[in-house]
Amino acid sequence: MAWGSSDSRAAGVLIAPALAGLILFIALPFVLAVGMSFTNLRLGSPLPLEFTGLRQYARVFADVSVQRAFLNNAVFALVVVPVQTALALLLALALNRRVRGMVVLRALFFLPVIFPMSLVAVVWILILAPGPEGMMNSLLSLLSFGHWQPRDFLHDAMWALPAIMLTSIWQGVGFQMVVLLAGLQAIPAQLYEAAAVDGAARWRQFRHVTLPQLRNPLIFVVVVTTILSFRVFDQVRIMTRGGPNDATTTAIFETVRSAFDRAQLAKAAAIAVVFFVVVLLLTLMQKRLLRQQPAPGISGTTERPSDATC
Amino acid sequence: MPLDELLPGELGDDLLPSILAQGTWQGRLYSVASFDSGLGIYAARDKLVEVSARIPKGPSDAWTAAEFEQILQALAARDADGAVLDLKLNYPDEWLTYGFSPVLQSAGADLVDRSTYRSASGVLNGAKARAAMEQVQGWFAHGFVDPNVDDAAFASGRVALSWVGHWMYGPYREALGENLVVVPLPDFGIGMRTGQGSWSWGVTRACRDPEAASQFLAFLLQRDEVLAMADANGAVPATRSAIAHSTLYGPNGPLHLFARQLLEGYAVPRPRTPAYPVVSAAFAQAFRDIRHGEGVQRALDRATMLIDRDIADNHGYALPETSSLHVP
Repeated sequence: MAWGSSDSRAAGVLIAPALAGLILFIALPFVLAVGMSFTNLRLGSPLPLEFTGLRQYARVFADVSVQRAFLNNAVFALVVVPVQTALALLLALALNRRVRGMVVLRALFFLPVIFPMSLVAVVWILILAPGPEGMMNSLLSLLSFGHWQPRDFLHDAMWALPAIMLTSIWQGVGFQMVVLLAGLQAIPAQLYEAAAVDGAARWRQFRHVTLPQLRNPLIFVVVVTTILSFRVFDQVRIMTRGGPNDATTTAIFETVRSAFDRAQLAKAAAIAVVFFVVVLLLTLMQKRLLRQQPAPGISGTTERPSDATC
Repeated sequence: MPLDELLPGELGDDLLPSILAQGTWQGRLYSVASFDSGLGIYAARDKLVEVSARIPKGPSDAWTAAEFEQILQALAARDADGAVLDLKLNYPDEWLTYGFSPVLQSAGADLVDRSTYRSASGVLNGAKARAAMEQVQGWFAHGFVDPNVDDAAFASGRVALSWVGHWMYGPYREALGENLVVVPLPDFGIGMRTGQGSWSWGVTRACRDPEAASQFLAFLLQRDEVLAMADANGAVPATRSAIAHSTLYGPNGPLHLFARQLLEGYAVPRPRTPAYPVVSAAFAQAFRDIRHGEGVQRALDRATMLIDRDIADNHGYALPETSSLHVP
């Protein structure tokens, strides 16, 4: 009863701009996409709009390229999320020192995040150039003492997806690194001092102080990287156009291809709806799994770290 | 709107047959152009002489596909990395359709059935199309084709042959000088074929003064105007009178081959159907899959399915009964 009606009116006014934005740019397009996916809507067609029921969904599920796209997305996420998170953590640990010039190093590792993906993709096309003169080929040849056979990575069914993954990790790792770096710097120094007094060496400090304390930033990084890795598009469009033979196609790439190469807006909408449901389920599942776990590994130390606030 | 009655009659005799074919839909002329395009193979003459390859004089004595493959083999045997052919694989999708649908057409196949424009079945995925595309796949499998990531394969001397359009004459001439020779694309069975077409102009139904618009178009199609445009962009002039006076494309010009291809009926216009964007995207994807070693029949079947489905989804792109139709 403490809330007067004027207060709730003020609250309503205050959230209105944000709510309007959400409705206009997120909810409405999504509702429209769901609606479109049950029709035969096409780009630039003079034909009348027809309700076609689940036909677009039947097509989406029967389309081998779309199946491959979701598989590629899953493989991409399964590799990129752990590798990129681990790499970001390593970088953050390495750069979390008070040494002169550290700011420059941090900036260097963060730089690729600022580059537009299209630029990164073009640079990596050159790095991955075929033939022995290609940078990646000559590096691998050097490292293998000349045993490496030069290959055309982006046109090789086995190497194209790993090449896209490498590009994406290189571009994205800086962002995760910064998040984890901030997390590391928020850990109170007393915890390490107490652990050291208790006789914990560096590795045990890392396992029983650093990791539990980083729990929240890590969860954030994992969830965001998962969502981002399902949204892969730019590098695919520029580097491989989904090929060779669908080896690198992704859900978003198939959506764009349907809508703009084939004018099939309704089918594109159906792919987008399926994609949304998949990502939503994955995110919910991930949050659930990550939240229900107790703070890991605190039995070995006498110092119990203060619980993360999740 | 149709231009047949708006443009002066003698223009129809002067315009290249390829331009008329490109601009005609359902029997009426809707667009005209002041320049056209064409495909050819640019070659380094000395390298062809080294392997004693015959140098074709015109479109009628183009290399056969088998002859072309022998030349590729002979050239590859003398080449450091065995890649001797540039197909401009660095170009975007529309190039693949423009540049390589003539392979189908020269084999007696096509992108769609042009008698009805209702289907690609049996045309794009028939035995003739498969045989021709399998030959192309063979060039990739043998490593004859340079991926041309840097767009410098031919100009830098890395390959002996470049399969591309008229627009590369300038840079290639600069790089190779007198050593440059232009020959027609190979013949896959029924005579060589080339792509054609470029920007073209029409008058919309909403135009307030169609008379004035078509007078302007007629002005642009005068000999000197066409020549001025061709000089500016290097394309094939779109009228017979302009070609006769062109230093590049005229009877004694180095690029007369491109003019002959258009004048003598070797050019195939893009399919004139609203399904074209889908046709082109489907074929380009099939070409890329074939490049990457996918089964040719499977790749062509898939493209055919995509095209047929698009046409069916649009009720055959049939003309509505009323005349107030929306012409795409």
